[in-house]
Amino acid sequence: MVDDQRFQTFLELSEAITGFGRVRLLGTGQAELYFATAERVVGHAIMDELLTAFADLPTRTPELLRLHLFGNEMLGDVVRNLVKLWFGGVWYQLPAIWQQAYGPAAEDGTFIPSPDAYVEGLMWVAIGAHPAGAKAPGFASWAVAPQIPLS
Amino acid sequence: MMPTSAIQDLHELYDYLDAAIQLEHATLPPYLVALYSVHPGTNPDAVQILRVVAVEEMLHLTIAANVLNAVGGKPDLNAPGFVPAYPTHLPSGETDFEVGTGAFTPAALETFLKIERPGMSGRGARQLIAKARNRSGSFLGRHPRDSGWSYYSIGDFYNAIRDGLRTLEEEARKSGGTIFTGEPSRQVTSEYYYSGGGKLRAVTDLDSALAALELVIEQGEGEDHGIWSGDGELSHYYRFQQLQLGRYYEPGDMEPGRPTGAEIKIDWDAVYPVKPNIKLSDFPPKSELLGVAKAFNDAYRRFLDLLTQSYNGRPELLLEAVPFMFSFRNMVNELIRNPLPGGGNAAPTFEV
Repeated sequence: MVDDQRFQTFLELSEAITGFGRVRLLGTGQAELYFATAERVVGHAIMDELLTAFADLPTRTPELLRLHLFGNEMLGDVVRNLVKLWFGGVWYQLPAIWQQAYGPAAEDGTFIPSPDAYVEGLMWVAIGAHPAGAKAPGFASWAVAPQIPLS
Repeated sequence: MMPTSAIQDLHELYDYLDAAIQLEHATLPPYLVALYSVHPGTNPDAVQILRVVAVEEMLHLTIAANVLNAVGGKPDLNAPGFVPAYPTHLPSGETDFEVGTGAFTPAALETFLKIERPGMSGRGARQLIAKARNRSGSFLGRHPRDSGWSYYSIGDFYNAIRDGLRTLEEEARKSGGTIFTGEPSRQVTSEYYYSGGGKLRAVTDLDSALAALELVIEQGEGEDHGIWSGDGELSHYYRFQQLQLGRYYEPGDMEPGRPTGAEIKIDWDAVYPVKPNIKLSDFPPKSELLGVAKAFNDAYRRFLDLLTQSYNGRPELLLEAVPFMFSFRNMVNELIRNPLPGGGNAAPTFEV
């Protein structure tokens, strides 16, 4: 268990940008891996900037997240990548223009961080479905209405 | 003089079969929590073995319900105390160890071997173990009806039931009757139960009852103390032993304790440190995590309701119970991957 403050802030950031609570995020078993993956690609310094920018927000409203994180030239692409990572289980290669401005990020590329990343993608939970080929819901479960947790 | 059977009348038989159902269920939380404590993608050998054993325990649960139904009993998985408070002695009355919920550890594996250990009763000397009927004995999580038997192994316990079935049926036949008076429509058979670790056949008479329980014994501790069952399946005891010895048995291996197959490596660190025998009171008050644990228990209670109905004349409901079980897997995983503020990871508490 990574117990340091940076990981805790990463979790809070992940809650804010995915809409899922920490229990669900930790429940994927991927949280520490995603933190390590993002930090490995963008580097410790940029991760620090992201975490600090998030921690400094007076409130975590969508407007402020948009203004200070998603709308930030350097942090925006990283945050969008984290959303995609949490929902789809894929780290997508950062845009060339990001690389030119803030790179080089030698570890960047489009890749799947672990075999469970796809299975644990939040998109499946969000749509009340299960990942094809994994987490089988059982014979005839299709007769039961999907449960969508986000209200 | 040993009595010919530890079971003297139909009510004692019901008690034993109630306990059998409770017993099969009681093994599941320990096996499942250990199974899901393993980090995803690691320890494939341990995961596979734990999974196979757990699935077969579910089959055994249903077999025990079929036998109870066949003799006119009524399975009740909602009886107070049906789900034990872990740690607990098993309802079969082994007194030298307790079972509990927790992470997959060498100590847990040791306990699993004890659960599945080969009995003392050979086919010829079955009665030697009916040391039993120790009425003063108490074990946690027992059915409220006071029984108090004590068997060395689950197989010994089932052999006592087999003896009881034979004895009581023989007596009933003397007066032209039978103990197999249950409604056949209450039997759960394979059309309601799929990919569940073996065939599920209706129990309607002495032969089918003895055969059904024979399967339970063979899958658990093996046949006649051998490694392999009649159809070449490895018993639970020897499956677990492979994990302890770090090597698979392979066909041709005949000597217990000396497997010669492929090596098994276990990464004991790739396991979430689940808090042993966790209770709701171990969760932070009003936390999101406590909410998940309570939701699990609520769902589990409804699930036991559904199983009870399935075993009481509505076997088709078992199909509805399937998605429940799959959703439990997801909930259990989610709980186990969450650390508790006080140390250790969460897990379902099974307080229903």
